[in-house]
Amino acid sequence: MRQSITLIILVIAMCVKTEAQVKIPFEKYSLANGLTVLLHEDHSAPLAAVLIQYHVGSKNEKPGRTGFAHLFEHMMFQGSAHVGNHEHFKLLQEVGANVNGFTNEDGTTYFEVLPSNYVELGLYLESDRMGFLLDSMSQGKLDNQRDVVKNERRQNYDNRPYGTADEKIAKAIYPADHPYSWPVIGYMDDLSAASLDDVTGFFKTYYAPSNACLVVAGDLNPGEVKKMIQKYFSDFPRGASFDRPKTVPVSLSEEKRMVFEDKVQLPRLYLTWHSAPNYTREDAALEVLARILSSGKNSRLYKSMVYENQIAQSVSASQGGSEIAGTFQIQITAKPGKNLTQMEVAADSLIAILLGRGITDKEIENALASIESQIVNSASTSLGKGIGLASYYSYTGDPDNINKQMDRYKGMTPGEVQAAASKYLKNPRAVLSIVPVGKTELAAKKGE
Amino acid sequence: MKTLIENLLTGLILTLIFSFTSMSQGNIDRMKRPVPGPAPKIKLPEIQKAVLSNGLNVWLVEKHELPTVAFNLVIQAGADHDPKGQPGMASMTADLLDEGTKSRSTLEISDEIESIGASFGVYSNFDGSYMTLNVLKKYMERGLNVFSDVLSNPVFPVKEFERLKVQRLAALLQQRDQPVAIANNAFSYILYGTDHPYGNNPAGNEASLKALSRDDIQMFYQSCYRPNNATLIVVGDIKLGEVTAILDRTLSGWKKGDVAPFTVPDPKSCDKMRVYLIDKPGAPQSEIRIGYPALSRSTPDYFPVQVMNRMLGGQFTSRINLNLREKHGFTYGARSGFSFQKGAGPFTASSGVTTEKSDSSLREFLYEINLMREKGMTAEELEFVKKGLLGNFALTFETPAQIAGALQSIILYGLPENYFNNYLQNIDAVTLKDVDRVSKKYLDTSKMAVVIVGDLSKIKEPIASMKVGDVTVCDTDGKPLK
Repeated sequence: MRQSITLIILVIAMCVKTEAQVKIPFEKYSLANGLTVLLHEDHSAPLAAVLIQYHVGSKNEKPGRTGFAHLFEHMMFQGSAHVGNHEHFKLLQEVGANVNGFTNEDGTTYFEVLPSNYVELGLYLESDRMGFLLDSMSQGKLDNQRDVVKNERRQNYDNRPYGTADEKIAKAIYPADHPYSWPVIGYMDDLSAASLDDVTGFFKTYYAPSNACLVVAGDLNPGEVKKMIQKYFSDFPRGASFDRPKTVPVSLSEEKRMVFEDKVQLPRLYLTWHSAPNYTREDAALEVLARILSSGKNSRLYKSMVYENQIAQSVSASQGGSEIAGTFQIQITAKPGKNLTQMEVAADSLIAILLGRGITDKEIENALASIESQIVNSASTSLGKGIGLASYYSYTGDPDNINKQMDRYKGMTPGEVQAAASKYLKNPRAVLSIVPVGKTELAAKKGE
Repeated sequence: MKTLIENLLTGLILTLIFSFTSMSQGNIDRMKRPVPGPAPKIKLPEIQKAVLSNGLNVWLVEKHELPTVAFNLVIQAGADHDPKGQPGMASMTADLLDEGTKSRSTLEISDEIESIGASFGVYSNFDGSYMTLNVLKKYMERGLNVFSDVLSNPVFPVKEFERLKVQRLAALLQQRDQPVAIANNAFSYILYGTDHPYGNNPAGNEASLKALSRDDIQMFYQSCYRPNNATLIVVGDIKLGEVTAILDRTLSGWKKGDVAPFTVPDPKSCDKMRVYLIDKPGAPQSEIRIGYPALSRSTPDYFPVQVMNRMLGGQFTSRINLNLREKHGFTYGARSGFSFQKGAGPFTASSGVTTEKSDSSLREFLYEINLMREKGMTAEELEFVKKGLLGNFALTFETPAQIAGALQSIILYGLPENYFNNYLQNIDAVTLKDVDRVSKKYLDTSKMAVVIVGDLSKIKEPIASMKVGDVTVCDTDGKPLK
């Protein structure tokens, strides 16, 4: 709740890949009410992470109530039947815990990292808000957090250069009824419209034990922790089932071109294609492609546009896989005096070369080496491992996939990466030009 | 062999116990907070030391959970060493260092690092310059070859220097888009002025970058990047002997040199509160900064000030955040902090607040700072804060990066090597009297400057009518207009 949503998505992306030599052992079981529990023991530091991931995010929202999953996340910190207003934070900060929560399209995660003798406090607090949130809910609390979230939107999106690019692209690339077509932070009007009834309904539908995964990771005694979990969580009733948004094929029938004037000095071009959802082999191939395009000075786009020709200030390519869809995106910020037509032409010719002459073995090796490092390093904290376990459980059904992250990349060949690139990057795309106010002539123009 | 009765009995007993436990669950008293177990033992990092044949001190902490090794070379010269009128020198030196050596081009350096999936970088801040390498153990030697070459044999190619300059100038231009960057840069300038290193943007400015020459960079490197002016921190899955054996070979060409003694100059102080406004037409939020040049890391009041500030604005449940965010909803977050550097870094209270509440937010900020100054904190608050700091210490040494960071602070600021052994005692020793004393001494709002970046057509009148100090409208650098 105190970190930007996008940052957190990055953290997740980093946590969801591991390597054969760093095994993350865990124990998995369920309570009778459907709560899934994962325990991971690691005594290397005297701390433990307690976290709950609810399998609900902005894609479960209804149009007209966008931003609600995240606003609701804020309400979870406002106390519950046995925990007073602000007391959740006070009880945790009093023992030195690090506390936060984050929301993305697919899930909402709450965590506290505690000195290991306070694990029970974390479980107690998580259980109280899972079981008794509504008992202490009030209009005043909702109004206050609505204001806080509106300020979060102003700070991280509206008052930030290029800050609203993502929501403009999502709106253009997905059909209006697709749950990835609106931003996680939500629209201001929808935040204003959120009511106490919405809070009640959302809680009853999505915050049941059967829609949650509880992880305790770190310096713990499994026997004792299991008793605590039984004590605090077993009373709550299982929730009713609900329909989850499904993967439906999405495509653009023709290219969508947009120009937006913003308070920026340098124009920036965004090229976005529909691609593969997270955790698929194609997602892995496109992750490799992204690195070949923009990671390091020898990457294709960087070397040509930033290093050699110096027409761009920066470039980045990324595969953004989520649960039911994914996008592949290239961002290019122009150097002063350059226009975005030049950026688009240069990028397109580099993509054409890549599709035509292919990718080298060395490019694949370099990409895999950095992915391997990233997977190993993502296991450096109990919290990171906990988030990874919960995410693999929520989105793939099997937390042990955390230990098979490198498998997804095994045997990756230039041909396979090229095939994924051809399959997606030849399709119609969204082209967004963000230009300084009054400088629409810098926007990317088609066919010039 | 058990009889049927015995089996039945066992089953029965189990059932009884089971139903008994599940009955008791429904009756747990949730008003009762869980009682913590005994505090866990905190294992402090054990520092092993060696000196290379070129005189470089190596500090190593073994950490074997992951097959990685992290290196952080700390050079005791950063932007604080930028000569007057030449901000950006330390930072450009760091940037240019890995752009070419006697035997490797910039693309070759980058390729070698990419091929082992390592992260490698050179950067600087006010207190120092740093070369870092994070590498899988199996690739450590390959990584160290590049690391050492870059450190010992940089050639600062003219072509790359010119490229980086253009890049940096554009990056400075981009900072003008960012209200947060504008507020931070203007605040530093207003508190310290350009004659003090802390008053300048460490990335430099347009004039200083244009004037900067490759010779300047070379000179900075020659005078500051010396083994006798540096310490190498190593944390990871490795033994001291393995590292020194490699480095004694790869760093043999990096030689000691004369390093001039250096102290950060004292900043000027403010005589009364002044308000500086910077226009950002149409901005939905105002970025507020309140503060003054305060304390260096060497202050004997470090611990009482940390304790006091944690309550004032140093954590989520601080007075400032609970007031501006949780009570009033003016902001997504508000905070205060002392930036303890080699010289006297600023005290800064800061927030981005909704435009319409800019004056109310300033009022609440000043209220909280003044209240702490006048009344100090309560015994319960002191207990709350101290307990939190003590507990948080258990979370301090989990990752290689955290351990390297802890060692870095000892090295940069010359703290005693047993600093972390005594940390808990030092926190615990802080009294209400100490807090009162440091609040009075270091929270004098009459000596603070207020900087606000926002839509002046909406906020200038309300702020001016508060009459907390003379109002000056400034450009985005913090310089008075006209």
